[in-house]
Amino acid sequence: MTIQDTDIPRRRAFLSEGLRRYLAAFRTPRGLIGGGLLAIMCLAALLAPVVFPGAVDAQSRDSFLGPSLTHPFGTDELGRDIFIRCIYALRISISLVIVAVPIAMVIGTLMGLAGAISPALGDAFQRLFDIILGFPSLILGICIVVAIGPGWIALAVTIAIFSLPQFGRLARGALLTEEGREYVLAARVLGVGKRKIMTRHILPNAMDPILVQASLAMIGGIFAEAALSIVGLGIQPPTPSLGTLLNVGIRYVYVQPMYTAGPIILLLLLALAFNLISDALNAAVMKTRND
Amino acid sequence: MLTFLARRLPSVALMLVVTALIAFLLPRLGGGDPAQVVAGPDATLAQVEAVREQLGLDRPVLVQFGDWAGRIVTGDFGTSLISNRPVAQLIASRLSSTMELAIAATLLMIVMGLGLGILAGSVRKGGSRAAIDGTLSVLLATPPHVTGLILILILGISWRLLPISGEVSVFDDPVTGLTYLILPAFALALPQAAMIARLIQARMSQVREEDFVDLAKAKGVPPRRIAISHVLRNSLGTAVIVTGVRVGEILAGAVVIEAIFARQGLGTLAVSAIQSRDYEVVQIIVLFAVVIAVVVHFLSEILLAALDPRIRLDS
Amino acid sequence: MTDAPMLEVNDLAVQFDFGGVAIQALHDVSFSVGKGRILGIVGESGSGKSLTAKSIMGMLPEAGRVSNGSIRLDGRDLVEVPETELRQMRGRDLAMVFQDPQAALNPVKTIGWQIVEALVVHGMPKAKARARALELLRQVGIPDPETRIDEFPHQFSGGMRQRAVIAIAIANSSPLIIADEPTTALDVTIQAQVLRLLAKLRADLGVTVILITHDMGVVAELCDDVVVMYGGRVVERGTVEAIFDAPQHPYTRALLASMPRIEGARGRELAAIPGSTPDLSRLPSGCAYHPRCALAEDMCARKVPPLEPIPERPENTSACLVAQRDGRLPPEGEGASAASARPDRPETEAAPILQVEDLRVDFGSKRRFFSRTAPFYAVDGVSLTVRPGETVGLVGESGCGKTTVSRAIVGVNPIASGRVSVDGRDVTSFDGPATALVRDQVQYVFQDPYASLNPRLTIRQILNEALERRRLSAEAREEECARLMKLVGLDRHYLDRYPKAFSGGQRQRIGIARALAVQPKVLICDEPVSALDVSIQAQVINILADLRDRLGLAVLFIAHDLAVVRHLSDRVAVMYLGRIVEEGPAEEIYAAPRHPYTAVLMASTPKPVPQPGAMASKTILEGDPPDPRNPPSGCRFRTRCPIGPLVHPDRTICEREDPALSGDRSHKAACHFPQDTTQTTEMRERMPS
Repeated sequence: MTIQDTDIPRRRAFLSEGLRRYLAAFRTPRGLIGGGLLAIMCLAALLAPVVFPGAVDAQSRDSFLGPSLTHPFGTDELGRDIFIRCIYALRISISLVIVAVPIAMVIGTLMGLAGAISPALGDAFQRLFDIILGFPSLILGICIVVAIGPGWIALAVTIAIFSLPQFGRLARGALLTEEGREYVLAARVLGVGKRKIMTRHILPNAMDPILVQASLAMIGGIFAEAALSIVGLGIQPPTPSLGTLLNVGIRYVYVQPMYTAGPIILLLLLALAFNLISDALNAAVMKTRND
Repeated sequence: MLTFLARRLPSVALMLVVTALIAFLLPRLGGGDPAQVVAGPDATLAQVEAVREQLGLDRPVLVQFGDWAGRIVTGDFGTSLISNRPVAQLIASRLSSTMELAIAATLLMIVMGLGLGILAGSVRKGGSRAAIDGTLSVLLATPPHVTGLILILILGISWRLLPISGEVSVFDDPVTGLTYLILPAFALALPQAAMIARLIQARMSQVREEDFVDLAKAKGVPPRRIAISHVLRNSLGTAVIVTGVRVGEILAGAVVIEAIFARQGLGTLAVSAIQSRDYEVVQIIVLFAVVIAVVVHFLSEILLAALDPRIRLDS
Repeated sequence: MTDAPMLEVNDLAVQFDFGGVAIQALHDVSFSVGKGRILGIVGESGSGKSLTAKSIMGMLPEAGRVSNGSIRLDGRDLVEVPETELRQMRGRDLAMVFQDPQAALNPVKTIGWQIVEALVVHGMPKAKARARALELLRQVGIPDPETRIDEFPHQFSGGMRQRAVIAIAIANSSPLIIADEPTTALDVTIQAQVLRLLAKLRADLGVTVILITHDMGVVAELCDDVVVMYGGRVVERGTVEAIFDAPQHPYTRALLASMPRIEGARGRELAAIPGSTPDLSRLPSGCAYHPRCALAEDMCARKVPPLEPIPERPENTSACLVAQRDGRLPPEGEGASAASARPDRPETEAAPILQVEDLRVDFGSKRRFFSRTAPFYAVDGVSLTVRPGETVGLVGESGCGKTTVSRAIVGVNPIASGRVSVDGRDVTSFDGPATALVRDQVQYVFQDPYASLNPRLTIRQILNEALERRRLSAEAREEECARLMKLVGLDRHYLDRYPKAFSGGQRQRIGIARALAVQPKVLICDEPVSALDVSIQAQVINILADLRDRLGLAVLFIAHDLAVVRHLSDRVAVMYLGRIVEEGPAEEIYAAPRHPYTAVLMASTPKPVPQPGAMASKTILEGDPPDPRNPPSGCRFRTRCPIGPLVHPDRTICEREDPALSGDRSHKAACHFPQDTTQTTEMRERMPS
């Protein structure tokens, strides 16, 4: 009898096992860089008011100064430091996606799994997802802004609603494949309750793609804020957000290119960080899957 | 084929009805009272009530919706509450600008998406593969507005190659018009093209693993013919469907791109209408964008059915 | 017969390079096949048989390459031929038939286009190619080729698709056809059609065929010569007669002994081969088979045996050191082959533990926007009885509804009408108490050992899930897990491993242990061995039989393989198109079937006993099963029946009246003319051809 050598796992609760797998993603080079980058940016945004008290709105006569050591990104039309305003702007972007995406993830996943309880409900939610996805993303945002009025809340709702179907469809897909799996049938025949089948067999398998999607949805959310704020339908000036900075910056692009370039650099850094994290998560998930 | 289309129709109809409903409800969701807006800020309560009755706003919502939808279908798009001009006229004056942009971007998207996709799906080894993969990932991750701003910074500001603001109609002056069109069209098309390319690439490598590709090889079919008649032919359906979905995104992206490049199109019209609470205009533009997106998507499904006998013949 | 060989493979070695790690997958493979002969290459998964075929075609996966040896086709070494030239030879000088005809045809091109392509790439003008394609379709037996040529693969049935693939293979009159498991994906009646077609093509066109298969029965029926592969090497080769008469490699002998038979004595334990097939990446030292071999000696682990003729049996060339030294392969004594005979099990009269009456399962109706499609009964009026301790075999081809029946019994498929009772109580409603009763009494063993265990749970967690019903204390559960593992022959300290550490056979044992954890009275086994290699299959069958006897379980055993069903069952029910067409004591049914379908199934099942000429004369069903959504009127089998209106136009009753199951108390058949089938020997003369 040949049994392949694999490390013998200790007995442990199932959830912690899943968590350990996901955390392992952050020990890979990509996960480490992505996570580190994100941590630095979060920290900077959090500590900005402490480190530069009042500096965000401090005006001076030195408008449109070029980049220097004191003003890494130069100054804007009112002589404010663009770098500090960009760091402040991170607060909006990060807070938006940290709130909106997890909410969408939970609700979307639940809606996707609703088919397990009532097939009709599951179908109805899928129809809803089709409709949301049928709307070009920004048009959807515009409708929400009109309905709620521009601001943080409208942006959060837009991001959440637009992310909803992505999670819902992944969860639904996982539900349908898992429900047909023989080990799920086996559990049913053994008389294992619906809830236990869900938490033990279906949810863990659904979580993999959903978590990867969550970090991608965060990128989408950050860019959505920028898009709506650029056209003036998102965050309203003078509150600095990456989008509002760009909204004003583009007007002065000839005299102060850093006004546009600065927010873009931060946008891309955020996207890079989340991208690396999603890559690392994906790799970790695939690895356990193929073993 | 017909049964296939008949089966798809209900969901298309559902989508259109939902969009119409949302568009219709927008002014009411917006919280502003349209009667108040029409009557003006200084109107008395009685005047506002009179306007309300005149506009039919006191009747049940469903009746109003029926009326409104009826008007839209017969081509009466209403009148702007702010400028008092017919909405149809407002839209017509902005349409050509947006259409120029959207059509240019769609063509670019299709050409670049297919080209890059087939390239990425065919090159399977070495550095060029990594280079293509890397490029696609970067393009894919960068949305139109960011792409546009980067293009402005590099091509417009650093190199001063192309104009970055304003527009000239290509019908008035083709050459100048095109120089104004290049940057925004590229900005709109690049991310969508990358998305199409990535999906074609994935589909092609999937098809390449199929047994029928092995059978073609066992028949003695030359590699180029295998690539075209077997691999590419079986990947086209995916390409058509993703292209259909992406057209809607191009239209929506135009809203931001027009703002960035200071073009006077439907997008800027929509934005200013929202800011001035001119809901009659917003309604029609939203409806317009979604209808185009839905119709293009439906057309791409018809094309898919034409390409794939399993869908065409089995219903 | 053996002048210049068509193909000669010498010392072929194939190496794979996985990111710098080299793995040798084929070692010193040597064999030859004479012109116009059919060579069978037999082996289990991982034996290297498919790789051998791909090497000949020059179609190894990207990471693989031929690292040594030669492949001479008509004297020319294919290994040396450059790719561009090899490409021109493929399809013209050597052609291939694939395992899965569904996947092997391009779904968006017509059948005709795909045949024409094979012709035009080898230089035939397009205008002539279509006429040739029509001729080919006719040649491979596709009815109405003028219409069919413009149809797409999805409009063809599985058997017809495989005929189309064969048409492509013979399109350019290639003298050599390599068929890689060409019938594995097909039902047994369709398999018989395809095998007969291959035999006919050999007779008509004189093509040479290399048939890759895992089924010794197929080899015995169709082939002239055999090559047996194990662990990437040829372990034995010779003519079919020589090898089946007296195999000279212990693996060949064990493989033949481990097959359940459809004829001859039964009731004995199968001679299972212990252990599992080795992974090509980590072969045992010396003879790769030695860890599983009953005759192994010390030298077997040290020296790789050369492939040499056996002194006393020069017809057999075998790579067995023991046989080479002793002059022939010594008998195994009281080893696996001479297992103790088991007495026939007495018929039981006890009250049924599981009873199904007139069961119908609706699979078709889907709600659309405005209408509801007509119901489609995948199972249409099936009645079954299983008594305590009894094993009932349910046989039928894919799509006949046998799995649907079994899943309806455990409440997974909703029941449209009829009655299911367990232990005398009606559980059709599957309400709370009824479901609980079913869960306690009836358990299920699944087909796919890879899909039936959650890869994320350890074996302990999997068994604990099953033990939850019994509400045991932690210690009792621990003990129970250990007991279950022992029951299925696994060591208890594997409990904390994940399923991926186990082979298919071991996983299936775990599946059985899980089902037994509930201490059920009835075990439903749904094709429990069909995904396993033959040598492993026997292990699992033996364990099932042993547990059934020791625990007094009633078993409903579902399979498509008549031999496996016969080996285990006391009674057998045969299903066709949602109905049971024959039912009775196993020995009676196999000795004298009363329904023509049963008779044909038995005739179509390949038997590992060479019978020259059997292929041409045996009864074979023409055509494909009808669409179950739209079953024929009257008797559902009449459209293919060899004794029905097809051959006897006067038997209109078959079209008008649905025959009921009738006959004596225990042996019943649903046929208007059951006496005709009993005279099976005459059937083949009446067959249309």
